Amino acid sequence: MNNRVFCILAALLALAGCATDPAPTEQLRLTEQALVQARAVGATELLVDMQLAEQKFALAQKNMPEQDYKRARLLAEQAELDARLAEAQVLTSKSQEQLTALNARITRLRKQLGDLQ
Amino acid sequence: MKRLDYRCATALLGFVLLTGCAGVEHSQQELDAARVSFQKVKHDPLVLRSAPLDVVRAGEALTRAEGFSGYWGSSADVSHYAYLSLRFSQIASEHSLLLANQERLAALEQERQRLQQALRDAKLLSVQQQGQAQDEQMVSLTRTQLDRGLVMTLSDVLFEPATASLNASANRTLLKLVQFLQLNPRRIVRIEGYADNQGSQAQNLQLSVERAQEVANVLEDLGIDKKRLQVQGYGEAYPLAENASRRGREQNRRVEIVFSDEQGNLSPPR
Repeated sequence: MNNRVFCILAALLALAGCATDPAPTEQLRLTEQALVQARAVGATELLVDMQLAEQKFALAQKNMPEQDYKRARLLAEQAELDARLAEAQVLTSKSQEQLTALNARITRLRKQLGDLQ
Repeated sequence: MKRLDYRCATALLGFVLLTGCAGVEHSQQELDAARVSFQKVKHDPLVLRSAPLDVVRAGEALTRAEGFSGYWGSSADVSHYAYLSLRFSQIASEHSLLLANQERLAALEQERQRLQQALRDAKLLSVQQQGQAQDEQMVSLTRTQLDRGLVMTLSDVLFEPATASLNASANRTLLKLVQFLQLNPRRIVRIEGYADNQGSQAQNLQLSVERAQEVANVLEDLGIDKKRLQVQGYGEAYPLAENASRRGREQNRRVEIVFSDEQGNLSPPR
């Protein structure tokens, strides 16, 4: 039993270094904003990077009450960029779809014009 | 007791390794990957134009990662900043793809408008050449039905036999339709395809959908907003005449255009 207590204490000591970090409240807010924006353009967890972002953000939030601030900050920083990348990917693929549709329309117009001549 | 000791020691050792040496090699790989990505975006003019800030951030994060890589025991920080740098580079290049697509879209949109105008002119010309004589053939009926509102029928002769392609004699009708829809911007239409009962049901349904879609496509090409056009295929349902005679079947093969009222209220599909 004593050993278990020692074990836990040792782990807490190892974490003590991180506890001196200030609480990354602002970073968590930024990350959440990035996630909201990514979801707004239609990013879902079907996208690997969006999944990463959601998971890391959830972990970061979990680390906050545990006062593991350094870990929370790192996770939140990564999650913010994961979400921004996912958002950019969605926008790119949407514009790609628009291009495909527009190209198809132009081909159709050309064909009709050709038929008339 | 002994076993617990062992487990505790392993756990602690694992923790030390995690933050210490085991990560070094891995973090070096991540650093290299971040460097490669940054090199790629750093000199790409399109990337610099579309996401200059992200490129700068990628560079800053890379510098921090490289700074940490000089210290023993900071491989977790190296990994972290290498990761951030890589992400910034990826975001920057994604934005450059987006910008390239947007510029291409703008150019194609101009091309589309030019072609659309050319098509309208060409159709008008072909109508003028055809003269009035074929008018009757084209619009066989425009009538008001109690439950459905104003309905216009495009008869089978406007299509190439057994295909969904409209032939040149359809131009007059379609131009009139376009003109009408442009004068009544709030009206929407449902374009309904029908077939006779020759051949399989599935084929008939498909042909009826394809013909209705073709009419919608042409209307769109002539400048009608796609949102105003609903498309529905009914296959061999709702025949106008018996399918026993050739003439009856010809009447059943048709496309009907159901108009909404002036407020845009369309009768529900059958």
